[in-house]
Amino acid sequence: MTPEPTKQWKSLLGIAAITATLFGMETATSMVVPDDLVFDVNSRVEGVFPETWIHGSKSAMDNTDPAVQVHRYNAHTYILRENKAINYEGAFMYLFFGNQKALLIDQGSTSSPALFPLRDVVDGIITAWEKAHQRTNTQLIVANSHLHGDHYAAWNQFVDRPDTLMVGLTHEEVMAYWGFDDYPEQRVTYDLGGRQFIVTGTPGHQSSEIALYDTWTDLLYTGDMLYRGRLYLEDWQAWKASIKRLRDMADDYPVAHLVNNHIEMTATPTIDYPIGTTWQPDEPPMQMTLDMLNTAVSASTEIERPGIYKYDHFLIYNEVPWAYTTDP
Amino acid sequence: MKMHMRKHPRRYLFRLTFVLAALAFTNIASAHMLNMTHIEVQTQEIEPTKITLRIDLGQSLMSADEYWTLANAPSAEQAMLMRNVKEQLDAGLRFEVDGTTASPTLQSWDFPAVSLAAIENPLTPQMATLTYHLSAIPRDSIGVSLADDFAVPWPCLVRLDIAGRELPVSRLLTSYDRNSGSVALHGATTGEDVDIGALMVSASQDWLPSLSWVVIGFQHIIPRGLDHIAFVLGLFFLSTGLRPLLLQVTGFTIAHSLTLGLAMYGFVSVPAAIVEPLIAASIVYVALDNLYASHLAPFRMLVVCAFGLLHGLGFAAVLQEIHMPQESFAQALLLFNVGVELGQIAVIAGAFALVGAFRSRSWYSSGIAHPATMGIAGVGAYWLLKRTIF
Ligand SMILES: [Zn+2]
Repeated sequence: MTPEPTKQWKSLLGIAAITATLFGMETATSMVVPDDLVFDVNSRVEGVFPETWIHGSKSAMDNTDPAVQVHRYNAHTYILRENKAINYEGAFMYLFFGNQKALLIDQGSTSSPALFPLRDVVDGIITAWEKAHQRTNTQLIVANSHLHGDHYAAWNQFVDRPDTLMVGLTHEEVMAYWGFDDYPEQRVTYDLGGRQFIVTGTPGHQSSEIALYDTWTDLLYTGDMLYRGRLYLEDWQAWKASIKRLRDMADDYPVAHLVNNHIEMTATPTIDYPIGTTWQPDEPPMQMTLDMLNTAVSASTEIERPGIYKYDHFLIYNEVPWAYTTDP
Repeated sequence: MKMHMRKHPRRYLFRLTFVLAALAFTNIASAHMLNMTHIEVQTQEIEPTKITLRIDLGQSLMSADEYWTLANAPSAEQAMLMRNVKEQLDAGLRFEVDGTTASPTLQSWDFPAVSLAAIENPLTPQMATLTYHLSAIPRDSIGVSLADDFAVPWPCLVRLDIAGRELPVSRLLTSYDRNSGSVALHGATTGEDVDIGALMVSASQDWLPSLSWVVIGFQHIIPRGLDHIAFVLGLFFLSTGLRPLLLQVTGFTIAHSLTLGLAMYGFVSVPAAIVEPLIAASIVYVALDNLYASHLAPFRMLVVCAFGLLHGLGFAAVLQEIHMPQESFAQALLLFNVGVELGQIAVIAGAFALVGAFRSRSWYSSGIAHPATMGIAGVGAYWLLKRTIF
């Protein structure tokens, strides 16, 4: 029972009308759908740091703070901090967004998903970010500043996450992912969906450490090799060369702030909180200045022997066996 | 604050357990986690697999004093002194080679210790090194796990150096996650040496976390696979009976599973620029055919299967954009396909639920099937034009 010819023509006309309507709708919606985000290399996009970070509590029992503090530095940059009552390291973690990609640097010091639900927190940030910027299918890259267990304890929480790339926890995997073939001297350009990072090797505290410079925010991320605290250096010569590389980076690129992994100093120069402190009411800011980098540069030329050296904003534990740590 | 706690004893209890658990973690031992455990597995083509365990014995399986004595004993006496530790390690360390349990044999050891004080201080870990051999030479997969009652300084990093592979593979074991899962020795993506038996074994192992692949497969039909939905609805609106519908859907499914598998293993590769317009054309074809034919011609059955092959390539293209786990590749692929089928069934079930009741009515064809088919053809034509000209 084939339909009569006129009916066939009517059907075809109907189909053509539907197709035309769809093209019309597409044109209309294309005016609404957002374009790719543009991360300009040449102009600095500012962000804000919190007045103070959540810094633990006098008694861990009274701690009602979230397990992970989420701070939005700017629209596409998040800084996370592990609750000091869960682990005194109070490690900072970073989540950078580009088009279709998000880069998570470090996964904290606690493995337990119940105590430290980092995966849930990161998923929440990504979902909210996707909603706010009308995007889907963001791939998460799980990477690390360096290969110490206090910076990847919750790594496993991401292993079965869909659309996720695990860089890996061995030196070779790290080198292969960033594309180093001449670590640590080399500078590699890393593209996070249109957002350019300059990555270089910064061993000294740990032999696989990297530093990242974000050309969009002008943040220079120095991980565990330079922060306001006790800089434990296992390889002095390597650290000395790494500090120089950071200084060179700051000469070649404009730096807004140096950001990093921990706060162990008090607001009083040269005085640190004892190791294991879970309440730091008198914390200085996390971000550091180029002056402090310069201090580290001069320290790297002054120090010749193993030992503990005190500076206003950090202490250098140069190849000191940790047993001899003399905290106040 | 106290008032508040008395009012909410449960909350207080929760907080207390939180704190007790937290205290267990706020141990000074976790500073940079320098004394975490390391297991290195090195497979070789002919020689036995070598396993190196680095563990802070004086902070875990023995007391600092015992470890100090062990470290200073002449090597002839060490075997005797470490007997208890060896038993704990034998029971706690588990290896799986090609899906079956393999027991390691201890080859050598090294117990360094600078001083008793250094052993006692978790910040100066004195790491013992024990070397094992696995007599079974793995062909397909290898896995490491730690027994439930076996406590080592956490976490435990597993590094697998696999013969013939350029990069090592890393896994992290924690007290919550004691199994590395089975790590495939061959990158499944190369398509070489695919042992279906071993794949099924690994697919049946810890499949639960991988269920997310079913979800991803499902999402590639609903809501993301609009073109596949249109095609399946095209099949639905032709068929007056259930039998022709099932026949077509089965043929379509077998065909797309086939090309999805072949494409993912790298046996076939057709550029998206060819596949995508053809998928759109297949939708237009099915819809137009619906308007002119009222029964399932054998020729149409062939065409539907051919289109199935195309759609499989389309699924492969989207799946290739997602990062697939190398070591459980086959399992992920299988589950993805299951998800696709479930999505397809959901589309048909949804269509049935909406209009199924009217299928025998006289106005079904002119009032529902015909306009719906026109809609499908219109959408298909839109995609076809977009994927070719615009
Ligand atoms: Zn570290």
